[in-house]
Amino acid sequence: MSWLMRLIRTRAMEKELDKELRFHFESQVRDKIEAGMDPSEARRIARLEFGGHEQVKEQCRESRGTLWLASTAQDLRFGARILAKSPGFAFTAILVLALGIGVNTLAFSLYNLVALQFIPVRDAGTLVNIERRSPENITPGIPYASIAFYRDNAKSLSAVMAVMAGAPVTLDQDGQRVNPSFVSANFFSELGSSAAAGRLFDVTREDSPASPPVVVLSNRFWQRRFNSDSSIIGKTVYLAGKPATIVGVTSPEFAGLGSDHPDIWLPIEQHSYFVEGSKPLSDSKFEGLIVMRGRLARGVTPHAAEQELLALTNRLRKLYPTVIWDNEYIVVTPGAHFFPLQLGGEGLGGGAAIVALCGLLVLLILGVACANLGGLLLARGAARRHEIQTRLDLGASRLRVFRQLFTETLLLAALGALAALPFSYLALRLILVSTDAPVWMSAAPDWRVLIFTSAMTFIAALFFGLLPTLRMVRHRSGSDLGQRFVVSVQVAASCVLLVLASLLVRATLHTLYSDPGFGYEQVVAIHPSLNEHGYSPATANRYFAQLQERLSSLPGVSSVSVALNPPLVNENVMITSIDVDGHRVLIYPNWVGSEFFKTMGIPLLRGRFLLPNEAHAVVLSESLALKRWPHEDPIGKQWKDSQDIVVGVVGNTRAQELNNTDATEIYYAAMSTADNLPSMTVLVKSSSTPESLFPQIKAVANSIDPKLYPTITTLKAGFRKNVRQVEQIAAIISLLGALALFLAVVGLLGLVAYAVTRRTKEIAIRLAIGAGHAQIIASVLRRFAWPVLFGLIAGVAMTAALSQIIRRGLYGVSGLDPISYFGAIGLLVVILLVAAVLPIQRAFKLDVASILLHSD
Amino acid sequence: MTTPSKFDLPQGTLDLLILRVVALGPVHGYAIAQRIQLISKEALQVQQGSLYPALHRLENKKLLAAEWAQTESGREAKFYKLTAMGRTQLKSETESWARLTEVVGMFLQHPQGDPS
Repeated sequence: MSWLMRLIRTRAMEKELDKELRFHFESQVRDKIEAGMDPSEARRIARLEFGGHEQVKEQCRESRGTLWLASTAQDLRFGARILAKSPGFAFTAILVLALGIGVNTLAFSLYNLVALQFIPVRDAGTLVNIERRSPENITPGIPYASIAFYRDNAKSLSAVMAVMAGAPVTLDQDGQRVNPSFVSANFFSELGSSAAAGRLFDVTREDSPASPPVVVLSNRFWQRRFNSDSSIIGKTVYLAGKPATIVGVTSPEFAGLGSDHPDIWLPIEQHSYFVEGSKPLSDSKFEGLIVMRGRLARGVTPHAAEQELLALTNRLRKLYPTVIWDNEYIVVTPGAHFFPLQLGGEGLGGGAAIVALCGLLVLLILGVACANLGGLLLARGAARRHEIQTRLDLGASRLRVFRQLFTETLLLAALGALAALPFSYLALRLILVSTDAPVWMSAAPDWRVLIFTSAMTFIAALFFGLLPTLRMVRHRSGSDLGQRFVVSVQVAASCVLLVLASLLVRATLHTLYSDPGFGYEQVVAIHPSLNEHGYSPATANRYFAQLQERLSSLPGVSSVSVALNPPLVNENVMITSIDVDGHRVLIYPNWVGSEFFKTMGIPLLRGRFLLPNEAHAVVLSESLALKRWPHEDPIGKQWKDSQDIVVGVVGNTRAQELNNTDATEIYYAAMSTADNLPSMTVLVKSSSTPESLFPQIKAVANSIDPKLYPTITTLKAGFRKNVRQVEQIAAIISLLGALALFLAVVGLLGLVAYAVTRRTKEIAIRLAIGAGHAQIIASVLRRFAWPVLFGLIAGVAMTAALSQIIRRGLYGVSGLDPISYFGAIGLLVVILLVAAVLPIQRAFKLDVASILLHSD
Repeated sequence: MTTPSKFDLPQGTLDLLILRVVALGPVHGYAIAQRIQLISKEALQVQQGSLYPALHRLENKKLLAAEWAQTESGREAKFYKLTAMGRTQLKSETESWARLTEVVGMFLQHPQGDPS
């Protein structure tokens, strides 16, 4: 008989067992009576000889091997009954757990969506990102010459794709520009995508610059702009004035490479056609950002591919000595994730630290929830002492009672998890809808999420249930060390979350309302993308000279300058670094015209500004000067081991990273012969509202070169976009903080209410003999004072440590901002006091006489 | 309750005794208890109840098979008998028991357990 059969036959077997044992017992008694014993005496002796009937049965069930299943079912039934008997407790416990587990499930689901799940492409496992690095440089882009070389020579890659996001272009006469993405002809076939209408790019048809110009529309854009009209296939549209044929539309679920979502795709081979004068494929100094994606050949690991590509890079260096960096190497990472998290990255790529921090924060919430429930269970344990003792006295083994109680705990945790899943699902749906996420992203939990949730549920049950259950079975009484511990944990975890929340809220306010170190409100940025239109440094220089001259003569323009990295609106952030005493300092470099500081309103602190075209001179931000030469005058010093001499120190700005007060900058003069000149942006400071200049700026730009369609934006718009991100993060953390506070309040309310109930009689006596309310409140709360204090200290210490991570990885908040600390702690203490005093207040309303009369 | 002249069974020996008794032919639990007491001349103290978990365990291990049948007095009782596996088990356990007692006996008779 298999154990399954036995399980099904449980009822019959129970009957047989009973019958067998009764037969034994009755035979025993009969024999004794036949031997001349008195019937009642015979029964007594037989019972002694046989042993406890129920214990024997239990042991038999156990040796049958089905006990665990049968008894688990029994325990579950019993647990459900116990929970149903106290619906208030059950509701609170399930709510608290649902919040704790739900927040964790939600966080993990998000992480799963962006970093673990594959985007829906063919053969996702072999799709890789290929980027180049050197000790000095981090960039996602690779020159097309290198891409072509790798494509033709790498044996570890079965296919190579090139993708370049283009500047927005005009479509026919539309007012709004469309975002194009230039891709190699194999892009769609390698990703295994299909067309909703027409066809996608074909390797045999879009393989040369001479092929007829074609465009593929994204499904969303097709819906929005063409109302999903299939008859537009084969029609001609004008992109930046150039005719091209619409050949097809991607399917609605096409995910691209994850986070990119252009309106249209164009063949990268035809880039020079659409962007007149550009030579991204042949010009090794092309400044646009081309990213490389590849497919690993069968059985090749990313590491092996890196090795081969490194060898190829060294061959490339001989071909293009100026393009390949010193010590350049290639990094190959999995490419089929929505947001490839580069663990161990630095600076802006410090993804690991952020993920770890978020993980820690949501775990803290779960910690509060568990501590909270642990407290409630301890209190209940004391109330159920009588029941447990009875069961032990009746002969149940401690292990058996423990198992039963722990099953109850697991049942509670499972119910909490069941409630958490819809909660997390709904929240995720809301997030996906509000962020306009791609259609393939589903809020429904997948197997990873379910495993994660189950594991969290079990861990939570261990945390909140083990200690109270053990104490109930061991039957320790007296000391309420457990309760105090629970209070400490709750307070500490809430404290961490609240202080972090207030630090971040303060940082947001700081970003919003404090001076970023430069004037952005009046400034307009004009980005003509000369680099993409084949301008040389010489022609770019002429263009900029003309543009600047014409712009400064406009009424309402107070100053004009060029800059390579305009603050707030540039897409690609450049970072360089310097070692100071073995400590790495990240620096934002910028190449600027002589009027830049005036245009941006950055003050000169020492020395002088840069002169037009001044070689071998740098200007440092004050923060950088202080880091490099803390005790010396930087003016006249040599910068690194270059020929550059420091000529001036200017005020700090948070131009490239708005929320980093530690940011350091270095400025070089924009050189009329420099290769980066065609990539520059023109900044215009207006003396009135900046938007009013737009028509004139457009007219001026058009008159100089009608081929160009410069992007014109106000820095204000860029500022708002930056602030929105910081605000969102602060809002999320505040929400977590509020959740933690709510949980802590529920927990403490429960504990104090329990303490009061247990001491109702004592309170009544004290009231009867004339103690004041304050005295009584003090006597009840004294037990909680130390645990709360201890929790606060632990919480503050933990936050201080954590805020260092935030400071480095995210926001550059002052990690020890006293207002945030005292504010959060003050709020916490006040709310805890209210939570503690409320139940005591209720006790005062009781009728003293009846309590004293009726209590035993 | 244990009188000094009786002693408790060493761990695991109850199974051997049961197998030995059941080897004599189909027999119910009460009779097994009687026989163990009789054969051991009442020297063993077996709490009769503890017999049943052992019986069920052996049945579970397929060393014993059981069926319900009538006793001489006409009552229904569960009768146990040895399976083929049980027979092999009894043989090997009897041998190892004999060897064990021999070795332990030799060891104990040797003065001070002196190896020489």
